[in-house]
Amino acid sequence: MLQVVLGVSAVLAGPQWAGGWRAVVLAVAVGNVLILAGFGAMVARDTASAERGRGNAEMNARASHDQLQELIDNTSAVIYMKRIDDGRYVLVNREWERLFKASRDRVVNLTDRDVFPPALAEQLRNNDLGVASAGRTVQFEETAESDDGMRSYLSVKFPVLDTDGNPYAVCGISTDITDRKRAEEQIQELNAGLEARVAERTAELEASTRELDAFSYSVSHDLRAPLRSLHGFSQALLDDYGTVIDDVGRGYLDRLQVNVKRMGQMIDDLLNLSRATRADLAREPVDLSGLAREIMAELSAIDPDRVVKSVIPDDLKALGDRALLRMVLQNLLANAWKYTAKLPVAKIEVGQTERQGEQVFFVRDDGAGFDTQYAGKLFVAFQRLHPTAEFEGNGIGLAIVQRIVRRHGGQVSAESELGHGATFYFTVAAATEGKKR
Amino acid sequence: MIEGTILLVDDSPDDVALTLRAFRTNNITNKVDVAPDGEEALKYMLREGERRPKPVLILLDINLPKVNGLEVLRRIRADERTRHLPVVMLSTSSEDRDIVESYDLGANSYVRKPVVFNEFVDAVKVLGLYWLLVNQSVLTPNGE
Repeated sequence: MLQVVLGVSAVLAGPQWAGGWRAVVLAVAVGNVLILAGFGAMVARDTASAERGRGNAEMNARASHDQLQELIDNTSAVIYMKRIDDGRYVLVNREWERLFKASRDRVVNLTDRDVFPPALAEQLRNNDLGVASAGRTVQFEETAESDDGMRSYLSVKFPVLDTDGNPYAVCGISTDITDRKRAEEQIQELNAGLEARVAERTAELEASTRELDAFSYSVSHDLRAPLRSLHGFSQALLDDYGTVIDDVGRGYLDRLQVNVKRMGQMIDDLLNLSRATRADLAREPVDLSGLAREIMAELSAIDPDRVVKSVIPDDLKALGDRALLRMVLQNLLANAWKYTAKLPVAKIEVGQTERQGEQVFFVRDDGAGFDTQYAGKLFVAFQRLHPTAEFEGNGIGLAIVQRIVRRHGGQVSAESELGHGATFYFTVAAATEGKKR
Repeated sequence: MIEGTILLVDDSPDDVALTLRAFRTNNITNKVDVAPDGEEALKYMLREGERRPKPVLILLDINLPKVNGLEVLRRIRADERTRHLPVVMLSTSSEDRDIVESYDLGANSYVRKPVVFNEFVDAVKVLGLYWLLVNQSVLTPNGE
């Protein structure tokens, strides 16, 4: 197309600047295919008229010129053409005139050096020369200052060829992209700000995790040490002075030791609770059936006189952290074991069922149960629903269960009727769930 | 039981008293030297020119003033004269990282001090039985 257009212009227009206008036909065409087609037709008509007569042709050319002038003057883009040899302007459109406050009659003999600051003028000139030597359309991002302040432009520039096919001018269409760039910069700033904030929060979180870590470490060290002294020296009193203390005194010492021991257990439980939160979470298929059987065997080994019927199916599989899920089952089964202690024959069941459209695991016993109106307190650390004298414990177990289940993205809940057993439900991704459905 | 000194490294006078009591309860009659911090422990074992016989067993707490127990262990293992000595970590901590690091640094055993004294007495009994009777240590021929 370029060749056709310029060929025609060469026939039609000896004068340089008419040739320039032909190039603008193409310039507009680059931006819009439809316009290109329209002007292609116009050029074809021009060709026909050229054969008929030169005067006629020049009239037509003048008409085309006016139409094109209208076209480039009524766009919001900045359009211009400059000679390659000396950089002087060949044409500018109305938008150019408006922005840079110079009329086209005056501009035609000027170069960028006369219009813009030296540094910008040199950069524009370099870009133009780059287009000339590349011999094809090149895009640049350029900036220029006008009354609207510093504006950014996306400039599409292409060489205009003379009759011998050599570039003699560069035509440019510059679209104001300042607003788009500002929006982009804003997005980048927002993104950077967001990233900085995420980094900051992560650092804070890491710091508080480290603090928690340091805290539980010092709890482990500093709180247990005095307890050892308390227990050790009260034992020394019992051992060495047992004969000079009466039964009541020995009873006091026993109470002291029981409480020291209990506090030691509470510290250990607190540490376990913090570990359940801090520990790295592995995601692996875990055989819950196997774990539950192991734990039940351990419980009956500690308490061999109990008669407990355990019901555990073979195929309970979950996806999660083996050590932590073991802790969940350990706590739930130990609870079930504890709260069925008063039954001559107890039954503890582990299984999987569908509840509210969701696959859940459960641990069920037929023991003491609890009053459901206090169910909200079940999973809170150190909250107990039974007096210590009746059932041992310090209320950490279910808090640990809840933390672990939540870390697995699951939920824990409980159902009970006082005196008729309790069922604890928990969800974690079941490893076999996909296959079943 | 093999003769020789046990080095107890512990900064708590209460713990030292209770540990000595546990030794007595278990009829462990070896001489016990006490280092109240890591620096003293290192001086005791590594000072140049000392002709003192090396201890037959070291009971080493982790949380110690000045130089902590893990650093003491590292230096014991780094020194030709002491690298084969049996070291039992005796700590309040049951933190995984302390246990792992102790074994990484070449501890022979790790025992967490229980709160309940009778359990501690039992632990000391087993330790004495194993390290002073059952276990065969590297003998240092010149007593260094």
